[in-house]
Amino acid sequence: MKILIIEDEAAISKSIKNYFKANDVHCEEANNFKEAMAKIDMYDYDCILLDLMLPDGDGFDLLRHLKKKNKTEGVIIISAKETLDSRLEGFNLGADDYLTKPFHLSELLVRMQALIRRKNFKGNNEVVYNEIKIDILSKTVSVNDLKVDITKKQIDLLLYLIGNKNKVLSKGAIAEHLSGDMADMLDNHDFIYAHIKNLKKKLSQAGCGDYIKTIYGLGYKWENE
Amino acid sequence: MSEKLLKKTTHTFLIFSIIILMLAAPLFYFISSWLYSYETDEILLFHKQDFIEQYQDVFTEEDIAIWNKYNRNVTILPYHELKNDSIVLEVVYDKIAKENIPYRILYAPIELKGKKYIYNERINLVEMEGMVWSISLMFLIIIAFFLVVILYVSKRSSKKIWEPFYDTIIQIRNFEIDKDKLPQFMPTEIEEFDSLNKSIERLIEKNTAIYKNQKEFVENAAHELQTPLALFQSKIDTIIQTSGLSKEQSVLLNALNNDVSRLNRLNKNLLLLSKIENDSYFEKQNYSINNYIDKNFEFFEEQAEAKNITISRHYNHQLEIETNPILIEVLINNLFLNAIRHNSKSGIIKIEIEEKTLTFSNTGAVDALSGEKLFNRFFKSDPSAKGNGLGLAIVKKITELNGWKIGYSFENDLHNFFIKF
Repeated sequence: MKILIIEDEAAISKSIKNYFKANDVHCEEANNFKEAMAKIDMYDYDCILLDLMLPDGDGFDLLRHLKKKNKTEGVIIISAKETLDSRLEGFNLGADDYLTKPFHLSELLVRMQALIRRKNFKGNNEVVYNEIKIDILSKTVSVNDLKVDITKKQIDLLLYLIGNKNKVLSKGAIAEHLSGDMADMLDNHDFIYAHIKNLKKKLSQAGCGDYIKTIYGLGYKWENE
Repeated sequence: MSEKLLKKTTHTFLIFSIIILMLAAPLFYFISSWLYSYETDEILLFHKQDFIEQYQDVFTEEDIAIWNKYNRNVTILPYHELKNDSIVLEVVYDKIAKENIPYRILYAPIELKGKKYIYNERINLVEMEGMVWSISLMFLIIIAFFLVVILYVSKRSSKKIWEPFYDTIIQIRNFEIDKDKLPQFMPTEIEEFDSLNKSIERLIEKNTAIYKNQKEFVENAAHELQTPLALFQSKIDTIIQTSGLSKEQSVLLNALNNDVSRLNRLNKNLLLLSKIENDSYFEKQNYSINNYIDKNFEFFEEQAEAKNITISRHYNHQLEIETNPILIEVLINNLFLNAIRHNSKSGIIKIEIEEKTLTFSNTGAVDALSGEKLFNRFFKSDPSAKGNGLGLAIVKKITELNGWKIGYSFENDLHNFFIKF
């Protein structure tokens, strides 16, 4: 999987690159408008992460350029600016998702995976991890081909954990992923504990391996045994 | 005690007029009655002079007896010691009129055929009384009429004169610094009012500019903070992936992670607050509050679980309002999470919906909170509480923007926050 990060803060694109590397995502960086234009014209990517405010140009112009060239890359806008107008304009110009800074790298990764899944959708939209199979469309989970009775929220959590496999996920990051817009108001992430516990229980009852590890002091990690 | 300027000037005017009238009426009465007596006295003396000239050589003693017999008002009295003419006022009971009648009476020493007598003449003042009264009455009527006309005219004209002033007052009263509408004063030809309006306009312009600056500053600062916060966040996300972290380091990193998300929340709430102030959320639609609470009830129950809080819903009405969905959700979330955050272990939360009110009641602190400051930014009743002190300020802003009312009360150990739509 190859993506392009268009971001003028080199430190941010480096962090994204580092984080994604282990999950088989190859990242290229463009730190300004010119470089971004050149790379878009030369290569094809699975996904583009786009910061709207660049020192030598406007991110919206890049979106227009992509549209003109009939490029099919999925685009996620990552911006510090968040107004209803910029959101709407972004979507109108063909962006697929919008993430406001600051964000958790884990959140960006699962959103990107979901986007690529949607883009590459060929009849079946499934996430498979060893004995676990998640059908995104019908919202069902099966372990060893046996269906597991599971809530939508638990599927969401499962996708998030698998998408970020081998990564330590802080309680805060998980809480923010699960509570969406509400996250800005939460100051207590204890409810995550109950969610993880329930998910673990359901998976182990279905005969699934114990992939969810508790990392002392920090949070949780999805890991092959 | 304050009263209207127009009323005050009219009042003063009226009081002075009445005092002057009340003083003038008796004064007028005394002056005219004095003038009348003076005239009467002149007549008396003139009559006496006339009598002397006509009769001093012809009157015999018999004539005097006859004269006295047929004259009631002029009599010749036997002489007694009297050097000069003297006029006195006497009140005599009149048998015919059956009332006391005031008289001017002249006693004058005269000589008839060389013999000394006293000339006595009286003129009653009944006529004078009547005349003085009728003059006074006319005078009063004229003055009163005059007064009414003056009052009416002055009231009308001062109303017109003060009109721009009252307009200015209304404009200032309706002015709100966070709204874009500047006051439009009506043009006036009076220099003082004109300069008043100009001064106010200048004052408002200056303050509005300062206020805007301040608002922009908060928004810009919050925006600028987002990039370093993003850097901070991504670096922590990266560092917690490193293998071989000690327990100590893990605990520290977790604390750091919590701090950065707290900073993040604070920043987002500040941005939200300034966005509300900038009227960014103006689109409205019909919105059911009951539905929203029911739909998100599970989420809130999850949040309340750690404290073992019991939440109950009491819907007496389906509350639907025309409003911006983003803001009403922020409002409900804030009130709900507030009720959880400040609750005690195993406490309760009651959500009540009446025809036009939404109330969140929760157990918690034993005493009532201080009502006024409660909705101020960064106010915390408990400084160690985890919230950022913006929740209720945001709620208040949203209610202000929509013209709703928010209130707080403390009854039966329950803290009640209610919104009147």
